[in-house]
Amino acid sequence: MTVTGTLRHTTALFLLLAIGVALVLFSVKYQVQDLEEELTTLDAAIHRDREAIHVLEAEWSHLNDPERLHALAETHLGLEPLHPGQVGTFDGLPARPSLLDPAAAPREDGQ
Amino acid sequence: MRDPQLSFLETLDGTGTASRVTVPDGALETGRTRLWVTAIVFALSFLIVAGRLIDLTVFTDGALSAAARSGPAPAAVASRADIVDRNGVILATSLPTASLYADPGDVPDPEQTVTRLAAVLPGLDRRRALARLRSSASFVWLHRNLTPKQQHAVNRLGLPGLQFKRSERRTYPHGRAAAHVLGLTDVDGRGIAGVERFFDRMLTGGGAPVRLSIDLRVQSLLHRELAAAVDATSAGGAAGVVLDARTGEVLAMASLPDFDPNRPAETPPASRFNRATKGVYEMGSTFKLFTTAMALDSGTVSLTDGYDARQPIRVSRFTIADFHAKKRWLSVPEILVHSSNIGAAKMALDVGAETQQDYLRRLGLMSAAHVELPEVAAPLTPSRWREVNTMTVAFGHGIAVTPLQVAAATASVVNGGVHRPATIIRQPDGVVPAGVQVLTADTSRTMRGLMRLVVTHGTGRNADVAGYRVGGKTGTAEKQVGGGYSGDALVSSFVGAFPIEAPRYVVLVVLDEPTGTEETGGRATGGWVAAPVVGRIVSRLGPLVGLAPDPAPAPGGGKARLASYAPDGGAAREWPVAFE
Repeated sequence: MTVTGTLRHTTALFLLLAIGVALVLFSVKYQVQDLEEELTTLDAAIHRDREAIHVLEAEWSHLNDPERLHALAETHLGLEPLHPGQVGTFDGLPARPSLLDPAAAPREDGQ
Repeated sequence: MRDPQLSFLETLDGTGTASRVTVPDGALETGRTRLWVTAIVFALSFLIVAGRLIDLTVFTDGALSAAARSGPAPAAVASRADIVDRNGVILATSLPTASLYADPGDVPDPEQTVTRLAAVLPGLDRRRALARLRSSASFVWLHRNLTPKQQHAVNRLGLPGLQFKRSERRTYPHGRAAAHVLGLTDVDGRGIAGVERFFDRMLTGGGAPVRLSIDLRVQSLLHRELAAAVDATSAGGAAGVVLDARTGEVLAMASLPDFDPNRPAETPPASRFNRATKGVYEMGSTFKLFTTAMALDSGTVSLTDGYDARQPIRVSRFTIADFHAKKRWLSVPEILVHSSNIGAAKMALDVGAETQQDYLRRLGLMSAAHVELPEVAAPLTPSRWREVNTMTVAFGHGIAVTPLQVAAATASVVNGGVHRPATIIRQPDGVVPAGVQVLTADTSRTMRGLMRLVVTHGTGRNADVAGYRVGGKTGTAEKQVGGGYSGDALVSSFVGAFPIEAPRYVVLVVLDEPTGTEETGGRATGGWVAAPVVGRIVSRLGPLVGLAPDPAPAPGGGKARLASYAPDGGAAREWPVAFE
């Protein structure tokens, strides 16, 4: 093969490579652009959602306002604030009558 | 072998036959060098590009791709950070709002526009809106700060020429409950009072929320009970503080009259005054706690000592007499339990002015409280500390301090004698801020027992509640009107701690100028108007914070449920007067 022939082939090869790379680059660029558009849309959606969550959190806090709940419970449920006397433990319960009076105890043998 | 230079030139015409070109020898040499230099420069550039490519693809370890994947940092939702309570409940937040404006030139039918707008915006001033839409301006506001629902409704009308402008509005979901602690912002979103002002720099920028030590449930409870007490006694004002006795954290702080921070324009400026930190009061007998504590701690007296309280003391133009006069010799516990001014004054004289001031200073009663609020008042102390001052300060006259200071000092008395400045910022769990040992643990233990006696046998009986052992001290001070003291205008207070054997919380209630009611038999003293409020607060606060009540029967046995059944037939447990 002559020097000239080699050079021709090399040129052609590089030309093909350049065109190929350009095409790949072109498509990648558009893919990236599409992805970035999608990202922007998603970011905007996330921001909207976060803002909605923020507003809902404030509303949740407002709806759970103890004074509001107190008023609602009073008008609709007839509930009263907890009295310390209503809190008990098992130790505070009276003993079972059967344990005090063996005669009244139910038979344990199943008869 | 041909000359390489010539063969190079031969290729130029592509025929392989040497052209007859005459080239000067030096020029050929120069051309060759230039080619080499160019080739090297290109080769180097490609090498650099190749090197960088390898570096990016092989050696960066995906750092860039990770950065690309995470995207831009999320923008803050609000430009001002939230304020939350100790459990993370939102107390103040900035909400996005939309403000409605219009370009009158784009509105085809102003009359219909206003009619349809008014249907969804009840607050719209129709006449003004119509006048604005008919004006020749190119920008007119129609309605500020729409709620998201209203904005949606306006959007649905589909009226041409209307636009929204985004803005932010500071909102307080719990309204009045913690108004004085939180404070306010101005229209530009700058803090002008309370936490909003003190932490303005931290709040602007929309970073992490500021976490207060306030517990909204306790705050709400204190606010409600204070408001009820003010209603019942027609008091001119009130202040209340609930303090964690061990850490100095403020769980609740309220001041009445109050204001709605969501409608700052509609509140009289006087109601923004925080009585708990900015109001100074002569606290009266609650100071006897400190007098007794310092007398015991300095070894001036012991529990078995006492003073003759038969005769009022006359000093210059003052007469020190007892309100609940016993007219006999009183032991140190009796002086506190029956709140004897004469006894306290004599005890303070024995302690001495120097020691008295030293103890008061270390209890934080001589200088402004170090709390994270801009509204803090310095106490009013005697300019010259004469003998009469020593005596009057002993029972809380001639010295005016803020309610918060009294609560913090009481916490020091009951918590083992350690003074910690009150704070409204939540301390991390298990972290107890450094404090100063003011009293010995022994004195503190004795004082706790004496405070329980005040509630079981003394002036504070109305603070006694079933389930929790409260200890405390009443205070009733006559207000200075003009130059002298008025018998009618009182500042009535009660400071309590519970459970008194190992206090967790200090509760202080101060009523400004209460009047007696039928229920109190016309009496407006601390023991009658303030002590029951503290009692009610304790009985609600205990279950709220998870303190198990004592299984003693509830008063008024008929109402007691099964859960409060007591096997011993209902005898109330008595706090032992002897201490350990």
